[in-house]
Amino acid sequence: MAITNPLRGLSDQGKVLGGQIATVVGVLVLWEYASGRWVDAFYVSKPSDIAVKLWSEFSEPSFYHDLWVTMLEMFGGYAIGGFGGVILGVLLARWPIAAQIFDPIFVGLNSIPRIALAPLLIIWFGIDMASKIVLAATLVFFLTFFNTLAGILNVESGLINVARVQGASEWQIFTKVMLPAATSWIMTGLRTALPFALIGVIVGEFLAAAVGLGYRLNMYSTTYNTTGTMAMLFVMMAMMMLLNSAMIRVERTLLRWKPRSAYQIETTY
Amino acid sequence: MLEIRGVAKRFMSRGALITALESIDLDLEKGEFVTIVGPSGCGKSTLLNIVSGLMPSSEGEVRFNGTRITRVDRRIGYITQSDNLFPWRTLRDNVAFPLEIEGASKQDRYRRADEWIERVGLKGFERAYPHELSGGMRQRTNIIRTLVYEPEVILMDEPFGPLDAQTRITLQDQLLQLWETSRATVIFITHDLTEAIALADRVLLMSARPGRMVRDDRVGIKRPRDIFHTHDNPEFRRLYDEIWKELEVQVRGTMS
Repeated sequence: MAITNPLRGLSDQGKVLGGQIATVVGVLVLWEYASGRWVDAFYVSKPSDIAVKLWSEFSEPSFYHDLWVTMLEMFGGYAIGGFGGVILGVLLARWPIAAQIFDPIFVGLNSIPRIALAPLLIIWFGIDMASKIVLAATLVFFLTFFNTLAGILNVESGLINVARVQGASEWQIFTKVMLPAATSWIMTGLRTALPFALIGVIVGEFLAAAVGLGYRLNMYSTTYNTTGTMAMLFVMMAMMMLLNSAMIRVERTLLRWKPRSAYQIETTY
Repeated sequence: MLEIRGVAKRFMSRGALITALESIDLDLEKGEFVTIVGPSGCGKSTLLNIVSGLMPSSEGEVRFNGTRITRVDRRIGYITQSDNLFPWRTLRDNVAFPLEIEGASKQDRYRRADEWIERVGLKGFERAYPHELSGGMRQRTNIIRTLVYEPEVILMDEPFGPLDAQTRITLQDQLLQLWETSRATVIFITHDLTEAIALADRVLLMSARPGRMVRDDRVGIKRPRDIFHTHDNPEFRRLYDEIWKELEVQVRGTMS
């Protein structure tokens, strides 16, 4: 059988990567060409200008200060929200009555649009880092909490019975069966929550701040500087992608016992 | 050594009172291998759940060496039909789990686990995770992780149910060999009459729901047995025909 596939010899992984690069390059080239010809560059800027802008940002100390502040706020909010979510999820899973009491209350609280909550948080916590950390934490907390609770409540009773019959104490059942069984749920919660930590911080900075990437973004967008605005968007995108791939690596290590599906989609948003 | 006295189990289902088990009496001697056959839904598994202490009975009691079973007891092991291996643990760590529970040192529990792993021909797979093992290998692991902590009584709920015929007979053979050395007291549930007779000292037949004991036959085939040829034995044939007649009545009863 004659195979005349031009991609012959490339692994699937090679094909996927090739396709991804081709798509991104294609869009950038089209964008560059269209800008100023079909669409006014004032509205969409263009990749070459954005690249130049990024370069000048990278050589400016104030950019690094803004980046640093945003990352601090993000990790602070993520750590507090994530830790709180896991701890409370675990506690409520051990205490079913409390879980039933708090579940609808938490669902209600979580349905408050966080953007609407932001002004209040700024009044309470000021325009410095604290309000952004709290805003990010409120987003992260609920996602981690609901996943942790569901993960522990969904542990197969068969597994628990095995340990019980073998003489495990309640504490051993909890630490050696329930927690490991819920790991994949907890990790999913933590990974899904990661981009929300950034969203919370950026929204907070956008509304009221004197530093941070959100502040910088706001500064550019209110002066109709689309190139600067786009440059900030690229910075945030790159940051998020790096963090997400680090998270996937952690998850893989923790869940190395899981069968890998041949075709895995690794984005969550 | 194990006495089951007047055990009954009733529960409510959609507003109706269902009797799953009715006045079960059974005495087991130490080292006896008893199999229970019966139509599906006759409450065989419910009986094991009660004997294991996982489920309370509605009436009657189970006594083990004279003391009443009210909760799980480590001297009574329970091997279920679905293997229930911990997917995050390797084969070795699954087998070593009960030893970890009792606080054995890592060295000690791995040594003991490895002995059993070797005896059932799983050497080389110690580090494999359950999803990397075949059904037969998983069920072997399931069995030895109970044998490894040497409970005096072992309850087995159709452990070979989901396996293909060849794997099944290989595992039956292995089980008998392992049992010959430990001589634990066994209650083994199956819906396969051939398996029930081939393995047992005593075959009990349960009726359709509500489950009652309707026959109790001693199997006079000498041990150690050659499981691959037990069915040629005239004693086997006689028992098979006799019990089958009764089992057929019970199975037809559940169909109508």
